[in-house]
Amino acid sequence: MRARGTFLGFSILILAEIPVVAQQVDYSRPVDVAPSQESIGDDYVTPDVQRPLPRAVFWQVADVILLAVALGVAAWLALWRRQRGWLVALTVACVAYFGFYRQGCVCPIGSTQNIAVALVDPSYGVPYYVIAIFVLPLVAALFFGRVFCAGVCPLGAIQELVLLKAIVVPRKLDTALGGFKWVYLGVALYYAVQPAVDRAFLICRLDPFVGLFRFTGPAWLLMVGGSFLVAGIFVGRPYCRWLCPYGALLSAFSRYAWRSLSITPNRELECGLCEHACPYGAIEERRALRSDCFACGRCYTSCPVQRSSGMAAS
Amino acid sequence: MSEKYTRREVLGHAARGLALSGLGGVTGLLWLKAHATNAWAIDAGKCINSQLGAVGVEPCQRCATDCVLSLSAIRAVNEFSRCGRCYVCPAYFKITSAVGVDGLPSEKVCPRDAIQRQPIGWIDPDDPANNFYEYTIDEALCNGCGLCVMECKEPAGLGSVRLEVRHDVCLDCNRCSIAAVCPEDAYDKAPG
Amino acid sequence: MTLAAPVPLEYRRATPWAGRGNGPGQFRSALRGIAVGAAGIVFAAGDSIVKVFDSAGVLVREWPTERSGFCVASDDRERVWVGELSQVEVFAMDGERLEVRKDPPRLGRVTAVGFAGEDAFFADATARCIHRYDGAGVFLNAIGDKHRKGGFHIPNGVVDFAIDEEDVIHVANPGMHRVERYSVDGGQLGRFGHFDGRDPAGFSGCCNPTNVTVDARGRVIVTEKAGPRAKVYGPDGVLITVVARDVFDPGAKNMDVVVDRTGRIYVVDTVSLEIQVFEPLLRDEAA
Repeated sequence: MRARGTFLGFSILILAEIPVVAQQVDYSRPVDVAPSQESIGDDYVTPDVQRPLPRAVFWQVADVILLAVALGVAAWLALWRRQRGWLVALTVACVAYFGFYRQGCVCPIGSTQNIAVALVDPSYGVPYYVIAIFVLPLVAALFFGRVFCAGVCPLGAIQELVLLKAIVVPRKLDTALGGFKWVYLGVALYYAVQPAVDRAFLICRLDPFVGLFRFTGPAWLLMVGGSFLVAGIFVGRPYCRWLCPYGALLSAFSRYAWRSLSITPNRELECGLCEHACPYGAIEERRALRSDCFACGRCYTSCPVQRSSGMAAS
Repeated sequence: MSEKYTRREVLGHAARGLALSGLGGVTGLLWLKAHATNAWAIDAGKCINSQLGAVGVEPCQRCATDCVLSLSAIRAVNEFSRCGRCYVCPAYFKITSAVGVDGLPSEKVCPRDAIQRQPIGWIDPDDPANNFYEYTIDEALCNGCGLCVMECKEPAGLGSVRLEVRHDVCLDCNRCSIAAVCPEDAYDKAPG
Repeated sequence: MTLAAPVPLEYRRATPWAGRGNGPGQFRSALRGIAVGAAGIVFAAGDSIVKVFDSAGVLVREWPTERSGFCVASDDRERVWVGELSQVEVFAMDGERLEVRKDPPRLGRVTAVGFAGEDAFFADATARCIHRYDGAGVFLNAIGDKHRKGGFHIPNGVVDFAIDEEDVIHVANPGMHRVERYSVDGGQLGRFGHFDGRDPAGFSGCCNPTNVTVDARGRVIVTEKAGPRAKVYGPDGVLITVVARDVFDPGAKNMDVVVDRTGRIYVVDTVSLEIQVFEPLLRDEAA
């Protein structure tokens, strides 16, 4: 079965390479040595070289649509429905689909580099769906806060699911470490916008979780991923808080979110149970910090006002 | 709703508007060239398996072993218009294996038996050697190991078989793991 | 063909001639055809030039050809014929161009030239057969096109043949791994050879033997590619000896071969552009 594809351009490029011999030895053979159609006889027609099927646009479109839907559902669950149980379900579903099924690629975190290259290099373009994957979580952050981190991002989701009991990280340390995401973002962008021969995509290369999703990869990277997960049992989402370069962008964008997570449905007590419950240190003076809040919903499951007001329990 | 906007709200609206227009600008700029995307391609003149002049070297099989996918995105393809359509194809048969009763070598080159051989055109009923044979590579079985490519290279063959990246399968990784280990640096991300 | 009992032959490799370069006797980019004339003179065709060597390998003369030559041959009247794309140029021994034989659209790429009596035979790689013309250049018949697939199987793009003293044409049919014999009228007289990737008596690879020549006593000398070597077969098709194996460039193919009256074999290495010379060590008395 030979399907007609769309790669005439580079196939011609490769065809043109074969007779060209860079060395001084002339290994070229006389032209027309292959038997002609007439010699083979019996109305034989020489078939065209096998070409691949066109890339299935279906999966790209599916990814974008499902991303948008997941962002919307996460926003609705976190901000309006205020049910942690459903959020966990969404988290599991996104780990399964975006993580293990689609194997964590293409992801918005890595797409930051591609967008940067495309802006700097006139000959470089990114496909439509990559633009969408980059832009959608940022738009969601502008309106609803970091709902992408809430339950959609597979890297965050997998860390979310292993968390048992978070230790409290002192605020100053947390802030200092949090600055590291901007450093990582800067370094990654620096290497991304180099000319093509020097270009390196650091975020993809050093992604600790994609090896776990694919069940293959360099041994050292798999061990780093594993140790992030082990650490993530006791420390809340270390990668997301301190390393994720896209998280740096999200924290900046979510600062101006139109709506964001509110801990109590209507009024506040002074109990401070929410601050205890938050594993990410994102609550200060009983208000959620927009740029740090991952919308996990643990705060309102521990809030007595939430429970007593009859809103559904977790 | 209060008549008076607080400063904070105004700043918030302004910041959101700015961010949205920034995102919109980026989207617009990139939308225009979103069709010109790059894809990984193998330069057959550099690949050691098809490189003219590199005779008697071990075939490189990294295209099969280093792709992040379980079945590599690389396939061997036969450029039919350059194929000699030989009775005894050195990429199909293992030439140095023992000859069977039919006069043909008994073993095949492809470890996954992905090459199909059939006579074409007018078929001589008396002498099978007097026919032309077409060699097609089954893309469901081929894993891009490149053994057939090395066997077809001149002078043993006519060099019609080469390795190609299959873009319906390839993930277009920013950093191709095969490209990183290719000994001849034959991979390039070119428009396509 | 009657013959004395086959005499085991061994060959000693002499210093090769020509080579790649700009010096006298050297070729710049291609060396394809070889022939012997009277008194051991050797003609070599390549680039777009014919170089004439004496029996010691010293360049005697050279002259340009209009197109790049694929083969060269010398007839009884000491004319030198060079086979090219769609034409055959005929020169005198001093290089004076006598005539050009063309026959469009029949005559394609001429990769071997031979003679029997007054007739000239041109091996046509485009038509995959041998065309026979009389002394005046009139086409008489084709040889090998009655093959049911329309010609010889030549994936290497070269038809090579040699005519022995009894006007029998020995043609290499590489795709079918054999040497075939025809009369000058195109009738099949016989064949020998089979595929074998291990036994040196067989022809290995996809298409061997590539080139063939015949000596005065009916022995057939062939060259092969992909594991390049030169071999001598008896007139009955039984392998006598492998002349040489490892002296050729591993990438060489379509190596033209010719043998002179003393049994010395010349093989053209198409990659290193050398003329390999092999002297027979045991000569039998009946020459």
